[in-house]
Amino acid sequence: MTDSAPLAVELRGITKRFPGVVANKDIELRVARGEVHAIVGENGAGKSTLMKTLYGMHRPDEGQILLDGREVVFKNPADAIAAGVGMVHQHFMLADNLTVLENVVLGAEKAHGIGAAARRRIVELSDAYALGLEPDTLVEDLGVGDRQRVEIAKVLYRGATTLILDEPTAVLVPQEVDELFGNLAELKREGLTVIFISHKLDEVRKVADSITVIRRGTTVGTADPRTTTSKQLAELMVGAELPTPQTRTSTVRDTPVLQLTGVTVAGQGARPAVDDVTLTVREGEVVGIAGVEGNGQAELVDAIMGLRPLAAGTVVLAGEDITTWSTRTRREHGIGFIPEDRHRQGMLLDAPLWENRVLGHQTEAPNAKGVFIDRKAARADTERIMREYDVRAPGADTLAVALSGGNQQKLIVGREMSAGPKLLIAAHPTRGVDVGAQSVIWELLKDARAEGMGIVLISADLDELIGLSDTLQVMLRGGVVATLDPGAVTPEQLGGYMTGAVEGSTAGAA
Amino acid sequence: MTAVRKVGATLLAPVLAVAIALVISAVVMVAIGVDPFRALDVMVDFGDSPTQQVTAIVVVLNRAVPLFLAGLAVAVAFRMGLFNIGVEGQYRLATVLAAGAGAAISLPGPLHLVAIIVVAMLVGAVWAGIVAVLKVTRGVSEVISSIMLNFIALGLASFLLTGPLRGSEPGASIITTKDIPESGWFPSLNGLFDALGLANPPRQLYGFLLVAVLVGVVVAVLLKRTRFGFDLRATGLSASAASASGVDAKRMVITTMLISGAIAGLIGLPDLLGSDHNYGTEFTSGLGFLGIAVALLGRNNPVGIALAALLFAFLDRAAVPLQIAGIPSSVVTIIQGTIVLAVVIANEVARRIARRQAESGGAVAAPPAGDGSSPGPGSAPATGPALTNATGAAGRTDPTGSAQ
Repeated sequence: MTDSAPLAVELRGITKRFPGVVANKDIELRVARGEVHAIVGENGAGKSTLMKTLYGMHRPDEGQILLDGREVVFKNPADAIAAGVGMVHQHFMLADNLTVLENVVLGAEKAHGIGAAARRRIVELSDAYALGLEPDTLVEDLGVGDRQRVEIAKVLYRGATTLILDEPTAVLVPQEVDELFGNLAELKREGLTVIFISHKLDEVRKVADSITVIRRGTTVGTADPRTTTSKQLAELMVGAELPTPQTRTSTVRDTPVLQLTGVTVAGQGARPAVDDVTLTVREGEVVGIAGVEGNGQAELVDAIMGLRPLAAGTVVLAGEDITTWSTRTRREHGIGFIPEDRHRQGMLLDAPLWENRVLGHQTEAPNAKGVFIDRKAARADTERIMREYDVRAPGADTLAVALSGGNQQKLIVGREMSAGPKLLIAAHPTRGVDVGAQSVIWELLKDARAEGMGIVLISADLDELIGLSDTLQVMLRGGVVATLDPGAVTPEQLGGYMTGAVEGSTAGAA
Repeated sequence: MTAVRKVGATLLAPVLAVAIALVISAVVMVAIGVDPFRALDVMVDFGDSPTQQVTAIVVVLNRAVPLFLAGLAVAVAFRMGLFNIGVEGQYRLATVLAAGAGAAISLPGPLHLVAIIVVAMLVGAVWAGIVAVLKVTRGVSEVISSIMLNFIALGLASFLLTGPLRGSEPGASIITTKDIPESGWFPSLNGLFDALGLANPPRQLYGFLLVAVLVGVVVAVLLKRTRFGFDLRATGLSASAASASGVDAKRMVITTMLISGAIAGLIGLPDLLGSDHNYGTEFTSGLGFLGIAVALLGRNNPVGIALAALLFAFLDRAAVPLQIAGIPSSVVTIIQGTIVLAVVIANEVARRIARRQAESGGAVAAPPAGDGSSPGPGSAPATGPALTNATGAAGRTDPTGSAQ
């Protein structure tokens, strides 16, 4: 297995403990120079902890890090950068109102100054790795794929020879993923090493030269992407087969639950954020909203929830015009809400779980007794949700921040389902949750649909959208540009509509 | 998880902060040539005779009552992430108007008192309400507007005192309002000392203590047990999550500021109704600002605020004995100042430690945490209530445009 050439990155017996939990245990990782090495594992398996160790964000309790055969000790990310290790974070860390040049140079002014030399270097990098960057474009004018390339340029500019990419495809549509893989190939050709973290197995098999699988904090094996199937990888990863989001037979009934007519929401500039959207959700129907993020989906959700005023249009819930209702009244009348960003809108991280169970249902049984909060009943009901929805936590008094993303999400789903809503707004319900929680949430959504709940599903995961939805609506620049039948569309076609590459049509939806 | 540990964890930060503040203060005292141990000795010396000791305790309690109310007023707003810096102006204006009203009207005993209290609470609430209205209609930061309104309130109070409500003879060196008739005096609690078999001191223990305790209990119940309190605390923890849950953010700001202002209106009443019976140029000032420190030290919790108010009152009492002993009384101010600084830092440190423990250690039953799905300690340093709104009202809008 080992040649005489030293490995670009080698981790030996890395163990990282946090109080009460072992996040990484005896990790062995061998990455050759000039390869794309994928690290796969469920969310919560310890991938990010491991990468934080390699990037110097914390120090391992045991084990060694070797770069090019020499042992190194990183006290902080600056040490890692100096040694040529760079990280492209999942969530971009860019200043929108600065140019590409300014963003790249920010914090690395020592390297090439901030003037002509810096600009030359960025153009060089952009040409050498086909990043296609314009130094003077404002970052706010860039799409997601371009922003990611700015992040990559930042790392290269700092002299990285080993790049860590943390879930780089999570925010991209299929076309952008292909472009990213093109960039990675360029990097590889120039002899750089790429460590690629993902849990999307098809992508991993497409792009990686070798794969290391992590499960429950430790490395369980390596695989050759050419000879391993996705199924085998999945089994290595979770010890079980991957779930699929496929729905069963149609349960769509005739009664409409939600009717939006000409809904328009003002945007930042002249263009409205949501532009004249008309759609209907019937009982037992899942309406999927597809679209590249930032095309009005979030604003549409806000409009349905009453969090944002309408510039025009009406919202009708089960025959009642709720356009002027407050968020609370809407929730009391049967709208459940799984927000896109659970930390921002769905949870009080510094509050115990039982208070999070009350959140959003402050006025409803069993949480309220007159003007008082029924703490005892809320606690008991939290315990029930934890049991029924498999929320793994020590107890109802645990702080929400202590839970993994999947368990937080299961609590939110359980809480919203417990109120028995007529309509559920599910925005990215499985984002950032592990495979186990994902399948639980999918099952819950399917059951709710079968019982007649209307569901609006917003997701960036096209498989999820296609698999769960009865009807697909594609949003682009605030408007609905296409209504598609999920049974007759591939992710690639859907991506085409989402980016506007394919003109909108109404392809015979249900 | 045990109650003992929980209490220990809550107390750790303030106790540590006070200890650190005392050490720093001792260093400062040494630097200015004061023996810190002698100063401490003077501060804890409550006198020799039982009467002296009881008197000292009464002085501390009497000072603690307004400080407690001031701390509560600040804390109610703090809990929902609002900075009511205007408590000072609210209570000064409330007191002068309450004094004026109390002197002008004549009602049988309890009714007279109730009328004065209602006037004070209304004035405080209205003054704080201006801040709230400016915030929800025009987006004015409550920090700025409440500071500005302090100046206006103090000016207005002076005008009222020297003009319409003036009770002193022309040429008097101390200007006061007219005295409130005896039906508007709050009875003292000195009967308590006889009942307990203690020496009855010459000082009157303010009966308003009972009102303060009642207000404290009401606030505690309101915050912890009611739907309104839940909404308030939820807004303080995460304004975005609260509004998604159906909390009307604007109404919340207005209601909370009204409550905070109403409590602030009470701050001057212990002195007004218990001993001074008029508002004058010599009336106690600065209680509103001390209230911010008391609320911080008490971690916005009614019981904590009571303890913090007692500590500050104890330090306050020491000023006179220190001077008598030839030690500058500014030692007290130094200690109070360093306590505030140390508390701010200690609260933040304790919060981070607690959060880190919760993030990494809490979910033992769950699969290993520390994954990318939960933000690391560095990525979202959501600061405690003390610092959340330092960045202004922007907390309610969405700053995460870069992730799109």
